[in-house]
Amino acid sequence: MAIDTGFLVNIGFYVSIAIIFAILALGFNLQWGYTGLFNAGIAGFFLIGAYVAAIAITAPAPRVIIGGVTVYPGHLGGFQLPLVVGALLAMVASGTAAALVALPTVRLRADYLAIATLAFAEIVRIFAINLESVTGGTIGIIGIPRPIAFDPPNPFLTMVTIVGLGAAILLAVFLALQFISESPWGRVLRAIREDEEATMALGKNAFRFKLQAFALGGALMGLAGALFAVTLLYLEPSVSFAPSVTFSVWVMVIVGGWGSHRGAIVGAFLIYGLEWLSVQLKDFAPAVLKDSIFYIRLMLIGVLLILLVVYRPEGILPEKKRILR
Amino acid sequence: MTGGYILAVRQVQKAFGGIQAVDRCSLTVFPKSVTGLIGPNGAGKSTLFNVVAGLYRPDGGEIWFDGTRIDGLPPYEIVRLGLTKTWQIPHELKNLTVLENLVVAAKENSGERLFNLLVRPRAVKRDERRWRSRAREVLALTQLEGLANEHAKTLSGGQKKLLELARALMSDPVLVLLDEPVAGVNPTLVASLMDLIDKLRHEGLTFFLIEHDMNVVMNRCDRVIVMHQGRKIADGAPASVKADPAVIESYLGG
Repeated sequence: MAIDTGFLVNIGFYVSIAIIFAILALGFNLQWGYTGLFNAGIAGFFLIGAYVAAIAITAPAPRVIIGGVTVYPGHLGGFQLPLVVGALLAMVASGTAAALVALPTVRLRADYLAIATLAFAEIVRIFAINLESVTGGTIGIIGIPRPIAFDPPNPFLTMVTIVGLGAAILLAVFLALQFISESPWGRVLRAIREDEEATMALGKNAFRFKLQAFALGGALMGLAGALFAVTLLYLEPSVSFAPSVTFSVWVMVIVGGWGSHRGAIVGAFLIYGLEWLSVQLKDFAPAVLKDSIFYIRLMLIGVLLILLVVYRPEGILPEKKRILR
Repeated sequence: MTGGYILAVRQVQKAFGGIQAVDRCSLTVFPKSVTGLIGPNGAGKSTLFNVVAGLYRPDGGEIWFDGTRIDGLPPYEIVRLGLTKTWQIPHELKNLTVLENLVVAAKENSGERLFNLLVRPRAVKRDERRWRSRAREVLALTQLEGLANEHAKTLSGGQKKLLELARALMSDPVLVLLDEPVAGVNPTLVASLMDLIDKLRHEGLTFFLIEHDMNVVMNRCDRVIVMHQGRKIADGAPASVKADPAVIESYLGG
C-alpha cells in the first residue's frame, strides 16, 4: 500500500510549526491580551529558549578546520542532557531574561516596555550571530538530536513524534494557562490591563502581577524555542529569530482575539497556515504569479488585518464575558 | 500623634512643575464622621486626596492615618490599612463585569497569589466564594444588583459613580475618600446614596468627601473643610463655614 508520506510529512511540518507559533502566541496573549504589557521582542525570548535547549541537548561540536580555514566555529555544548531538562532550562532562561528586561521598564508607561523589548531582541540576535564560540555564529547550531531516533531514519515517524510531542505540550500549556488566568490572579491581570492606576488604588501591587505575567509569558516563549530546536534540528540566528517573527505573533493574537487563549491558538494556525499555503501553492501557481505569491500572502494578511480591525476588532474568538455565580 | 483623629494631614506639599497644588496644607478628620471638603476648582482637593491615598508622593509634610504614618507608602499598602479612595472621573474596569469589578477590589483574596493557586486550592475556593457573596451584598446596598453581569463599560455615568462607592466598600475600609460621589447622579439616587453613607457611618466608617453639591455638603456633612490655593482656609460646622467671609469670597459667592 503506497501512502504518499511525503505529503503527510509536509502537513506535519505545517502543524508542528503552527504549534510553536501557538505557544508563542499564548505567551504573548498572557503578557498583552491579559495584562496589557506590549512585548516587541518575542523573537528574542524565543531565540534564548531555542539556543539554551539546543546547547543543552546536543553532542560536542568541535571547531572544523579544513585547509587552515575555519569552516565551522563550533559551539558551546556537549552536555547531551535529556530533552525535558533542555526544555526546562530554556523556560528558566527565557523567563529570567523576561523578568530582567521587565524589572526596570515595567513600572513605566507601556511604550517604554515595547522599546526596551524590541532593542533587547535585536541585541540578543546580534550576540547569537557574533558570539561564535557559544552559538556557532551565522552557521548556528547543527546536529540537534531528534526526540526519538529511528533506525533506519524515518521522516514520517519522526514527524509523528514531533507533532505528537508538540500537541501534548500545547494542550498542557493551554490547560495550565486556563487554570491560572481564569483565577483571581488572572482577574487582577485583566484589571491592570483595563486601568493600572485604578487597580493600584484597589489595593493591588500592580508591579508584582506585571512582573509575574511577563516572566511567565517569556518562559512560554522559551519553551516554544526548545520545541523549535528539536523540530528543525538546526538553528541559525538571522532569519528564524528576525523581528518579523515578533510581528507575526502580534498578528496571530490580534486576529485570533486578544485576551482569549483559544483565539491565540486559532490565530497561530490561521496566519501560519497562510504562510505555509503560499509556499505550497508556489508549485501550482501560473508562471506569472510564481515570484509574487509570497507578496500576495503578505497583502492578504494586511487586508485581513484591516478588515478585522474595522469589523471585528475583538478578533475571531474574542475574550468571553465572565459570568460569576 | 493622631490624637483622636482618624486622618491628620500636616504641612503637606505637592507641586506640579511651577504650580503649588497643595501648599503646606494641614487638616484633620474625626472618626465616624462625614466630613466635606469644598473649594473652588484648582484648590488642590483632588490632588490632596491622591497624595493621601498614595497615588502621588508628597513633596513634604506628614500624613497620619489611624496612628500610622502613611506618606510615602505605596497605594496598595494604604488600602490594606483601611484607607480607600474613589475617583472623580469613574475608573471602572471596562471589560470586566460589575461583579468582577467588585470581587477584584476585595481585600486579601488568597487566589491572587500564584503560589496559593497551586498549593492551597481549597482556601482559594473558600475565599473566592466568600468575596462573591460579599460583592452581591454590596451590589444590593448600592442598587446595582441588576447589572451584576454586565460589562462595567455599559453603565451610565451615575451608575459608574455607584460602582466607585461599591468597589471602595469591598476593601473593608475604615476611611473612604469620595471624590465628588454624587456629581452626575439624579436627585433621588443622591438621596439614597447619602442615606447609605449615613448608615455606614453609623456602622463605624468614616467618610471624607469632595463635593460641589451644596445641598449634600450643608445637610449631610457634620463638618466642612474649605480649601483655597492649596491650603485650608476654613473648618467647622456647615452653618459657620457658610457664613465665613473668606469662604464666601473665594467659593460660595455673595
